[in-house]
Amino acid sequence: MIEIKNLTKRFPDRRGGTVHALSEVDLTIADNEFVTVLGPSGCGKTTLLRAIAGLTGWDEGGILVDGEPVRAPGPERAMVFQNFALLPWATALDNVAFGLELRGEPRGRRHATARELIGLVGLDGFEDRLPGELSGGMQQRVGLARALAVQPRVLLMDEPFGALDEQTRRILQEELLTIWERRRLTVVFITHSIEEAVLLGDRVVLMSPRPGRIAETVPVDIPRPRSFDLHGLGRTEEFTTLTTHLWERLRTMHPDRVGAHR
Amino acid sequence: MTPRRGPLTLLPPLSGLLAGGVLWEGVSRTADAAFLPPLTEVLTRLAELTADGKILPSLLSSVINLVLGLAISLTLGLTLGTLMGRYRPAEAALGIYMYALLTAPSLVFAPVFFSLFGPGRTSIVAVVVMYSLFVIVITTASAVRDVPAQLLEMGRVYGAGERQLLFRVVLPAALPMAMAGIRLGVGRAVAGMINGEMFIAVVGLGQILTEAGGSFDSTTVLAVLLVVVTVALIAIGITHWADRRLNGWLPETSRT
Ligand SMILES: Nc1ncnc2c1ncn2[C@@H]1O[C@H](COP(=O)(O)OP(=O)(O)OP(=O)(O)O)[C@@H](O)[C@H]1O
Ligand SMILES: [Mg+2]
Repeated sequence: MIEIKNLTKRFPDRRGGTVHALSEVDLTIADNEFVTVLGPSGCGKTTLLRAIAGLTGWDEGGILVDGEPVRAPGPERAMVFQNFALLPWATALDNVAFGLELRGEPRGRRHATARELIGLVGLDGFEDRLPGELSGGMQQRVGLARALAVQPRVLLMDEPFGALDEQTRRILQEELLTIWERRRLTVVFITHSIEEAVLLGDRVVLMSPRPGRIAETVPVDIPRPRSFDLHGLGRTEEFTTLTTHLWERLRTMHPDRVGAHR
Repeated sequence: MTPRRGPLTLLPPLSGLLAGGVLWEGVSRTADAAFLPPLTEVLTRLAELTADGKILPSLLSSVINLVLGLAISLTLGLTLGTLMGRYRPAEAALGIYMYALLTAPSLVFAPVFFSLFGPGRTSIVAVVVMYSLFVIVITTASAVRDVPAQLLEMGRVYGAGERQLLFRVVLPAALPMAMAGIRLGVGRAVAGMINGEMFIAVVGLGQILTEAGGSFDSTTVLAVLLVVVTVALIAIGITHWADRRLNGWLPETSRT
């Protein structure tokens, strides 16, 4: 369980003022829950995720993961990055095994685990490729496998499919859900895409900017396993109602909206 | 990934060399310049000097100076550069010296070394270090600074401590760019070697150069210069080879 209480974080900006990246954020995420976080650019999504990951501190409030206060990165939390963040000099296999290598697992053991996960993400036969020899979708599969290899209880994903093309993204969304359903772990998934947030999440956490806060939490009561057929799920009433509602909310937050600056 | 091989790879450099040699020979014979003896004459002199047993011992002595100096520069340069690139206080404390010494004409320190270490090998090695160290420090520092922040975050997320971060992420990521500084450093080290030998200790190849230069024997000067250039090219060749071995993962397109 992740408990975020009253989390507030300010950054100094260049003009000597302060940016309220997060303001009094309260959020509790249950075990094995899939939470998607949606919000306009600059509303603090990445800051929130980095705080949970233990990569950044904050000014007020706190975060507990399974009752333990977060102070630094920990082995129960793994992250998948928007730009993959793979080691360009290491093979797919070594990238997947990287977390285990840092933990000092012997080569044979960590490679065995890594092979298994390479299979799980559908990259059999690509073990010895370098990231530069893989497509974006394949690179993110490696990123996902690397995260799963350390057997985390929490998977933190910052727009993991944001750099991928539409078709690749859909395939990876589907595979992520399959893996999540089989492995059962808690996922915090940041996205810009309304459809993605609804397709994947048990709940959509909608954030608003300046100061970054939670505007609304929307439960998604669409039964699982969810079909990704747009003529199926995409046409259902629940899906349309949710996406329309989220869009209405987001639209009022958007900085380019006519009149938004008045 | 693997570099092109085969007889065609050697064609451009060989034809370049041939053209240069022909040009040298032609210019020298037509212009009849006193201080530009034809290449053939220079090569003949080189053969004579070698046969007299003058070249090889000097060459050996010079190469030892070079190798010692470079070893010190590499160790010190990579260490200082990494410290400066990664830790702000180190940069603040050392940066000013490194930039000052990079731009200072390295030979001005020759008298200092001479008075400190006397006319022996130590002084020459010190000059080699002086020539080659700072460019390595400064390129390494900026290479380390340029390591993508996301890779560092990734390392921290997966539990890397500072040591692991340094050796598993920062250094391998910085190596390709640091290698560019090392290549420059190797070239400068050869210059340092010959200057040190000419101005301080008068040993090695520098000694032959000084003597020949003093008696306006430009044929010998150029013969020794050919040897020096060969040493430089071999040193740089070894650096290239090491670069390819270490950074073979770089896509071929970024190094045409
Ligand atoms: N290191 C930093 N220094 C100063 N300001 C920062 C820093 N990191 C983030 N900010 C500011 O905090 C706010 C929230 O940033 P954050 O990156 O969390 O937004 P985001 O919701 O992830 O945006 P995006 O959707 O564009 O990724 C922004 O206004 C940003 O400019
Ligand atoms: Mg972000």
